Amino acid sequence: MIVADRKPMEEILAMLAPYKRVLVLACGGCVTVCVSGGEKQADLLASQLKLAAAAAGRADVQFDVDCITRQCDREFAAMLKKPLDQYDAVLSIACGVGVGFMSELAPQATVLPGLNTTSYDASTAKGVWQEYCGGCGDCLLAETGGICPIVRCSKGLTNGTCGGTKTGKCEVSKDMDCGWYLIFKKLQAAGKLELYTKVRPAKKWSKDRNGKGARRLTHKELMETEEFSK
Amino acid sequence: MTTTALNENTPVNPNEPVSRLQREFQAGHFVVSGEIGPPKGTSIEKCLHEAEEYLKHTVVAVNVTDIQTAVMRTGSMAISHMLVDRGIEPIFQMVTRDRNRLALQSDLLSAWCLGIRNVLALTGDHVAMGDHADAKPVFDLDSVGLLRAMTTLENGSDMGLDAKGNANVLEGSPKFFKGCCVTPCADEVEPQILKLQMKVAAGAQYVQTQAVYEPAAFEKFMTEIRKRGINVPVLVGIVQLKTAGMGKYMNTSVPGVKVPDWILKKLTDASKEDRQKISIDICGQLVREMKDMCQGAHLMTLGWDHCVPDIIKAAGL
Amino acid sequence: MRDVDLTSAAMAKLTGTTELLDREWAPCRNACPVHADVRAYLEAAAAGDFVAAAEIIRRDIPFASICGRICHHPCEQNCRRADVEGAVAIREVKRFVVEGLGASAPVHKAILQNKAAVAIVGAGPAGLAAALDLAKLGYRPTVFEKFPVAGGIPRTAIPKYRLPADVVKQDVDWIAAHGVTIVTGVEIGKDKTIADLQKQFAAVLVTTGLAKSRTLPLPGADHPRVLPVLTFLEAVAFDQPLDIGKNVLVIGGGNVAVDAARSAVRLGARVQMMMLEDEQEMPAWWWEQHEAKDEGVTFIHRRGPVEIVVKGGKITGLKHRKVTRVFDEAKKFSPTYDDADQAVAACDAVILAIGQMPDLGFLAGCDVKPDANGRVLFGINKATHETAVAGVFAAGEIVTPPGSAVEACASGQRAAKAIDMFLSGKPIVLNDATPPYIGTIDAQTADKLIRCDRNPTPTEPADVRAKNWNEFEHTFPEPTALAEARRCMSCGSGAEVVVDKCAACQTCFRVCPFDIPKVTDVARIDSALCQACGLCMAACPANAIVPKGYEPHALRDRVKSAVGKLPAGKKVVAFINGFHADAASWTGKADPAPAGVAEIYLSSISRLGPAEILAAIEAGATGVLVVTEPAGADRYPTTMRKAHAYVTRVRTMLKEIGLNPDRAQLAVRTAANRAVVVAAERDCMNSLIR
Repeated sequence: MIVADRKPMEEILAMLAPYKRVLVLACGGCVTVCVSGGEKQADLLASQLKLAAAAAGRADVQFDVDCITRQCDREFAAMLKKPLDQYDAVLSIACGVGVGFMSELAPQATVLPGLNTTSYDASTAKGVWQEYCGGCGDCLLAETGGICPIVRCSKGLTNGTCGGTKTGKCEVSKDMDCGWYLIFKKLQAAGKLELYTKVRPAKKWSKDRNGKGARRLTHKELMETEEFSK
Repeated sequence: MTTTALNENTPVNPNEPVSRLQREFQAGHFVVSGEIGPPKGTSIEKCLHEAEEYLKHTVVAVNVTDIQTAVMRTGSMAISHMLVDRGIEPIFQMVTRDRNRLALQSDLLSAWCLGIRNVLALTGDHVAMGDHADAKPVFDLDSVGLLRAMTTLENGSDMGLDAKGNANVLEGSPKFFKGCCVTPCADEVEPQILKLQMKVAAGAQYVQTQAVYEPAAFEKFMTEIRKRGINVPVLVGIVQLKTAGMGKYMNTSVPGVKVPDWILKKLTDASKEDRQKISIDICGQLVREMKDMCQGAHLMTLGWDHCVPDIIKAAGL
Repeated sequence: MRDVDLTSAAMAKLTGTTELLDREWAPCRNACPVHADVRAYLEAAAAGDFVAAAEIIRRDIPFASICGRICHHPCEQNCRRADVEGAVAIREVKRFVVEGLGASAPVHKAILQNKAAVAIVGAGPAGLAAALDLAKLGYRPTVFEKFPVAGGIPRTAIPKYRLPADVVKQDVDWIAAHGVTIVTGVEIGKDKTIADLQKQFAAVLVTTGLAKSRTLPLPGADHPRVLPVLTFLEAVAFDQPLDIGKNVLVIGGGNVAVDAARSAVRLGARVQMMMLEDEQEMPAWWWEQHEAKDEGVTFIHRRGPVEIVVKGGKITGLKHRKVTRVFDEAKKFSPTYDDADQAVAACDAVILAIGQMPDLGFLAGCDVKPDANGRVLFGINKATHETAVAGVFAAGEIVTPPGSAVEACASGQRAAKAIDMFLSGKPIVLNDATPPYIGTIDAQTADKLIRCDRNPTPTEPADVRAKNWNEFEHTFPEPTALAEARRCMSCGSGAEVVVDKCAACQTCFRVCPFDIPKVTDVARIDSALCQACGLCMAACPANAIVPKGYEPHALRDRVKSAVGKLPAGKKVVAFINGFHADAASWTGKADPAPAGVAEIYLSSISRLGPAEILAAIEAGATGVLVVTEPAGADRYPTTMRKAHAYVTRVRTMLKEIGLNPDRAQLAVRTAANRAVVVAAERDCMNSLIR
């Protein structure tokens, strides 16, 4: 799932400073699951914003809260209690997708990000989410024992450990596993160590975000026409 | 005064040595290499002077580090080229941290044009280790990828494809003596050996190792790689320990390096004025003990370049 | 799962209703014949609000005082706390609550009592319960009672060591205060006939119960010292002189027999009970058996009476024989005997307590006739309470199998509904359907609950109580009543998931101390297992969990209003875990909190999340103090840790917006007394800089 973390409060306060009528818009999708951008977090954030405004002597500001099932699907926008452009600003606490999509759906509205979107994670323990996929568009997991070297190796290397590996940890931090060491251990355990030294062509970074515009997934059978505007 | 090599595209005998370093190995000599680090800034005189003064006549080739430990400094290619100009053979270190495959290939061609023949392919320390932690780490290729890129260039094409899907043909191709690095005394050596295998398969022709202080472990490593058919020449890496504190630091912070107690004790026991001599002796002793296991030694004196002649003497070379 | 709409749209419509709660009952309520809302009155009692608790009790239980003493409490038999370590002493809490209020129990009369007049024959539990409901509906009931006092069996036959006369009077008076006319000393069938009543009243309800003792045609049974049990108990109840000798034998193994035996003990006799059944088979409640034995009553099981041996005009013993079986294969009462095994038990008086039967004297001068088998009456339609005569109804034990007072009340209440329909010209259709009720708690969950043993009922020592007529059981002192009410697990009032908001994030499961939520497509929280701690509600990022037991916004409204009432200046809202609080503190009747402090007691701090703490500050509180119990001292195992985490979180949030983090504080109560709370409140107040 997509994981996002709340932006530092001072950044949010600075972003919202020019606005009076603000909607804190939660998303019922991934950010609810990672307990960063659900309706409860929107309530709490609105509460904080109201207190901050009161402390700053601003009586003219108003903070509403709304939540839709997902901010990344057009249809759910119909759930909004009020059109977004009726607010001076919308602080979306969805991932960046929601912020961008809501902004696109409401051309007149100012939609601002309340979270920093970080990664694609699994919940590894109570209250802990960890990145497992780099979304690189060219999945290597078949050859790496299901451990993503793009995510787990600090350098995103594709051909084994570098010289910075030390007792299974990365040179960057002794608290950080060496991704390729994990892959080595996993492949060793699975009896597939030949995959470790397999000749891998240089990674196709063209599949990653690379300046060619937004990547796009299309399922032709689900499209109304094969032509689409964007 | 420049000795820029001619951009010739003549067929080359694959065994024809492209550098003095390669020739020395082929001749079966025990090879010693040194190392200099370019400065942060434009005042390069000191490092060039030391190379000329202490290394030119004592070692076969001199490594020029490439933005070492991710601390921004003058580039390896420029200094390597200046060594060429001064009749000193450089080993051009190249890390993959800071350049994508376009820049790496281009710089390889540039380096060849500037008379640089020895290249040492390295992944490079993470930017987090250096003084520009917010820089975007590139790592488009890793050391294996860089070695393959060199091999590809040598074969007359680059990594890209033309519109028809064919390899792009170079107008004139380089020929390098391609090196790589390994950590022989890593706590778990198997991944190191596997990686070395990959590097050699990708075209590596010699190896400079991470610092080694344990001859027995090194011997085991050498036996193992030879057993696996890795027959390229190996230069054992010797980092000159200036103080016991430095040794302890390496034990805790440098991956795959173990400084044994006898060395730490010698350094601790040494008086301040004796310390440099003791330090030289230790290096000499290590080289002596390991020279029969390998094909050369790579001396990393970290600013004490003036010690190189004495270390070589102490090593009995 | 249950076929109910749990989407946010459907749930929004339920705001302010109890529909969520009413969809599924706790087993205590289901088991109660009048379906008293046990959980609700225990919750009110737990919060020290005894007036509210009494209101809830009296809403369904007309004989609250009586039931607080003698109810056979099926609620307790079905209490799920029994699956953990012992049922909640529900009856004792009820007794405490009702007794505390005494005669001042609030009366809610019908605004207009101008509907038809209804006559009720018999002022026992069934009759008075019907009268009460009819009066509340605006009818004008008159209850005729042959005894000089109202109350029925509880007054005339239940011995006063169990139920003093003034306790009965309290309930009777309370019922009468609702506009019920009670005419005592008038016996229908003798002083008046049902036909007479039909002329004066639009409907007649017969609730004469089982007023006659069954007899046995034994040789010697006509001896004056052979007493039918009701004759004996009535004489005891009205302090009439009795000649029972020194060595009494009570025949019968039911609860009435035990009452008779224990009464005879108090009259100074040596008492034996003889019955057909063995210890397991005998119908008297097990606790009655124990209490009787403790008082010295001897039990003779599996013996059937043959003859009352009379010598020289005096009873010398009872000849009895061996019982070979009591019930046949079909579990029907069908005793067989072994006549070869006979013996004589010495005694000088016999009380026949083998059951009661209706006294059909009231039928004199009436068209209503008894039906063939005598006990089941006059072609009654049990579904509608109608007799063969239009306008004449029947309820109580005259209709139902013999039972307890509360069962008679239930029958009377049902009859009142039937009469209302009849008098409203509607067809009589009574729907006895109740909502489904939640099942037992599984052992896995029970194991995770904090153990909390049942408080024993204060009881007079057997050797003392056997010598007097004083009540042998005493009312709980307040701390015990509170502790006992707080043992209630609030069954069925826990979490409900709003399915269209749930993101299946597993947070509820992860915070639940009992591992109850199961998250598949959405979270499912089994109401049979949920402990209503509120932790998942506080944590749910989707706001998808609502408590069934209270209005989610009620707490914020309460805080807002409390802060509004504080004088200008520094204001502190203290959220206090009420698990060990005394009633006076909880209800604001104790030493006042320091000036500027508004106390909000909660049944557990678990229900408090960062949102509620921030809301208090938003509402104008300078500071919020959360007073929790030390780890393990609350009803839920993780309360203190969560309270700490949430206060810490709020402190961070305050800091983020440049406010003093000390505006949110946690105090762990080290001792369960008010002074500690007040001191913490004062400290909090003093630490806040305006």
